[in-house]
Amino acid sequence: MPPIDPENQSKHSPPSRLFRDDTRFALGRIAVFQYLAVVIFVFLIGGFWVLQIRDGDFNKELAERNRIKTVPLLAPRGKILDRDGRVIVDNHSAFALTLSRETLKPEHIAAIAEGLQNIKAEEIRALVARAESRRVAKYVPLVIKQDLTPAELAFVESHADPDTFPEMELIDKQSRLYPHGGLAAHVIGYVGEVSEVELNSAEFAKYSQGEIVGKEGLERQYNDLLTGVNGQRRVVVDSMGREHGRPIENKDFTPGNNLQLTLDLDLQSVAELAMEGRRGAVVALDPRNGEVLAMVSHPAFDPNLFTGRIRAADWNELINNPESPLMNRAIQAQFAPGSTFKTIVTIAGLETGLLEPSTTVNCPGGATFYGHYFKCDEVHGTVDLHRAIVHSCDTFFFTVGNRIGIDHIAEYAELAGIGKKTGIDLPNEKDGLMPSQRWKLHVKREKWYAGETISVAIGQGAVTVTPIQLASAVGGLVSGGVWYKPHLVKNAHIDPPRRADLHPENVATIVSGMCGVVNEGGTGASAAIPGLEICGKTGTAQRISNDLAKSNKALGLAMRDNGWFVGFAPRENPEIIIVALWEGSGKGALSAPIVRDVIKAYFDKKARLARPGPAQLSLFAEPSR
Amino acid sequence: MEFFLNRYRNLSVLVAAILAQLVLLAYQVKTNGDVRLIRVWAVGAVTPLARVIETGRSGVSHFFSDYFVLLDVREENKRMKTELDRVKMDNQYLRAELSTADRAQSLAIFQKHSPSKTVAAHIIGNTTGAGAKVVFIDRGSSSGIEPGMAVITPDGIAGKVTKVFFAAAQVMLVTDGTFAAGVISQNNRVHGTFKGLDYEGTGRIEHVQNEQKIDPGEWFFTSGDDRIFPKGLPVGEVTTVHQGKTEKEIYVSLSGFKNGLEEVLIIVEGVHASIPDAPVTNQAVHLLAPPPPDPGAPVVQPLQTGPIATDADRIKEQYRKLGEQQKHMYGERGNGAPNYNAPLKTEVKPEPKP
Repeated sequence: MPPIDPENQSKHSPPSRLFRDDTRFALGRIAVFQYLAVVIFVFLIGGFWVLQIRDGDFNKELAERNRIKTVPLLAPRGKILDRDGRVIVDNHSAFALTLSRETLKPEHIAAIAEGLQNIKAEEIRALVARAESRRVAKYVPLVIKQDLTPAELAFVESHADPDTFPEMELIDKQSRLYPHGGLAAHVIGYVGEVSEVELNSAEFAKYSQGEIVGKEGLERQYNDLLTGVNGQRRVVVDSMGREHGRPIENKDFTPGNNLQLTLDLDLQSVAELAMEGRRGAVVALDPRNGEVLAMVSHPAFDPNLFTGRIRAADWNELINNPESPLMNRAIQAQFAPGSTFKTIVTIAGLETGLLEPSTTVNCPGGATFYGHYFKCDEVHGTVDLHRAIVHSCDTFFFTVGNRIGIDHIAEYAELAGIGKKTGIDLPNEKDGLMPSQRWKLHVKREKWYAGETISVAIGQGAVTVTPIQLASAVGGLVSGGVWYKPHLVKNAHIDPPRRADLHPENVATIVSGMCGVVNEGGTGASAAIPGLEICGKTGTAQRISNDLAKSNKALGLAMRDNGWFVGFAPRENPEIIIVALWEGSGKGALSAPIVRDVIKAYFDKKARLARPGPAQLSLFAEPSR
Repeated sequence: MEFFLNRYRNLSVLVAAILAQLVLLAYQVKTNGDVRLIRVWAVGAVTPLARVIETGRSGVSHFFSDYFVLLDVREENKRMKTELDRVKMDNQYLRAELSTADRAQSLAIFQKHSPSKTVAAHIIGNTTGAGAKVVFIDRGSSSGIEPGMAVITPDGIAGKVTKVFFAAAQVMLVTDGTFAAGVISQNNRVHGTFKGLDYEGTGRIEHVQNEQKIDPGEWFFTSGDDRIFPKGLPVGEVTTVHQGKTEKEIYVSLSGFKNGLEEVLIIVEGVHASIPDAPVTNQAVHLLAPPPPDPGAPVVQPLQTGPIATDADRIKEQYRKLGEQQKHMYGERGNGAPNYNAPLKTEVKPEPKP
């Protein structure tokens, strides 16, 4: 250390003082930094608290969602097949395009629209703007287009990579593919997204929002059977959504069960063609077991409209259509059966002994009962039971109906199933109505008037039936009094039939009369087929009274009589019974050719299958499975 | 300040570099755009180096080949062996040269005869990623390359351009798990989507219904639906086809890689059956015009991802035709019921005029 000059000592600051000043300076700076550091740490800790404690669960969920993507594997519904295994309802992959707004780049919209058909960039921008104005969460994907074409699908899949348009995502919907033109539409029904109201019902309680369920027809009746079990695939993804490695979980879906029907597509097709341009229904049954071979209701609707979400315009058109295309006329149309009911009156008379085959009545073109004149279509002269059935003489049945009485008629009608549901495996079947003294007193609190029986005896008045009910009733009757429950699913459990102890000779009398209707120049002669003994009965049922029709011609034209024809073949041990209802046709005889064409299809197919060599189900289409 | 910078020069430079990186990263994240500044620099810096290394490697290889060829022999009994070695090596070298020449020649011939305008490029490197099959080519934006352009070989499709730099581009190969292209089968004209399978030489065709007909050995070609590949380029041959749960499971062996993948063509102007009316402009990704309708193909309905009809539709239609042939009006009185067992006449289409 150099010596200190005492004279100059004052010029130099004392070392201790100089040191003290420097320390003070440094301490000040250090203190500032310390406080700053404390503030920063408090700020950081606050941030951590917000991220990890206050919003911890939410952020954890976000992170998990970013890391693990769950891809649902939607199970296809079971197919619906005809009795020979041919596909009636199929599934097809229908892809929808969504855009993820989290990764959406506005400059991509024009190019994306360029690759799609019938959609403009402005429309996509408007969709995005609408979602933002409604504050829809960013992670909710925006559906841009449903039912992509193969060209659109190829465009989307080839550009949806992380480097090109990562915002594009596909949703595989597995839509239902129904026959076009409404073939068997009412039988099959349709599917749709389960509604809030349905979710609160016991029938759909086990489903969740957004799931597709059967809404009508067999789709609804056998919904649980047709619905499969969805699977899922969980994969690790990066921040761009790219999948890495093998899936963490790969739970495959279980498809729904296929449903094989008793319907025969050959008969169904012919019945559909025969009803084209007509309003009404056709039902074909096998009376030996209750299998429904064909069921048509016209006008129909296209169930494919319902596979996505039906457009409001389409829905309004369907429900406001005066012809009610959504109504399954085969099980829901309740109309007077007209002269087809004479078969029931006949069995009631024969079984009670109040009518005999030899009973004769003179028909001068009508008769007066209880002060009221009841008109017949023609002057038939003196007719016995057989001729009365063949020529559908109303005067004969006015007379015998009056003799038999309403309660006997009702007893045998109810035995045959008139006035109550057949129990077919379809939802919303209607009852029809078989009036009786008890019914009128119970429901209308009025006495039954004997004059009412006269109308009921020819299938008018209060009596109403559905086509399925009439087919079942007459089918069981001509089979000797054995009524099987009509059903649409093949190989299903068949309930034991209802049996009535009818006298075979009485049944034979009715069958003979019905064969005469077709083959002896009766009212159903147009149903005749050379070489086949078809039997049947026509029915022309008024919808309004003659007086009203005369006074209001427009109404009379609009409410023309319904035409019924119930036919079966062969005469012994019938294999098929068919009911055709043509609303407003004016005459039952006009419905006979509909039944003729379907019966011919049945027996031609039977002959085809009986040929030697490999069995040929159909001339045209073998099962595609 | 100057003193501080001088004294802590290394630290200052490091801090400045880190700050610059952070600013750029922040900018890139904030804008969420395709800035790729760091990537552009990195690729720009590495690509010339890769070319130099590749040139050096081949130069050194040639030098040693020549060295051995020119090496003098000292002993007679060794001379023959050396001569044999030399001939063997010569042979190997010439085969390689011939193979290269063949590829170059086939590339040139294909390029000349292809209706599409193409640019030839060499593969100069590949990247490794989780399942990614990506290569770099020595052509970039300076050669007119754009993202979304098709990359092919004379034998078939090879991939598509995903990123473009000044003198290089990144290509996603058809074997990448995320690669897809629209395809059509040769015989049965069935549309589908080709997907990469992450293993060499094989791909999968999706969205073909079980009811549609595909035969093993059948070829798939590009359909042009994807707006990347022009219609008609070979994709691969069906090796396996069987019914799946919801659709057919079809596997194809890729044709584009069968002679290796060293040189490729990038389609800068694709041509389907006819030349596009107008180029597509102002798009983030290069898109070809849609392919023209194929006169031989069936009319495509909106539901074409699945069968357009079920058996029910077909059967009803046949009964309708039968009724027309027999002049029978269903449900009408008149000439009785039709004969459903009569053979249905098939329509004979007139031969197309040449």
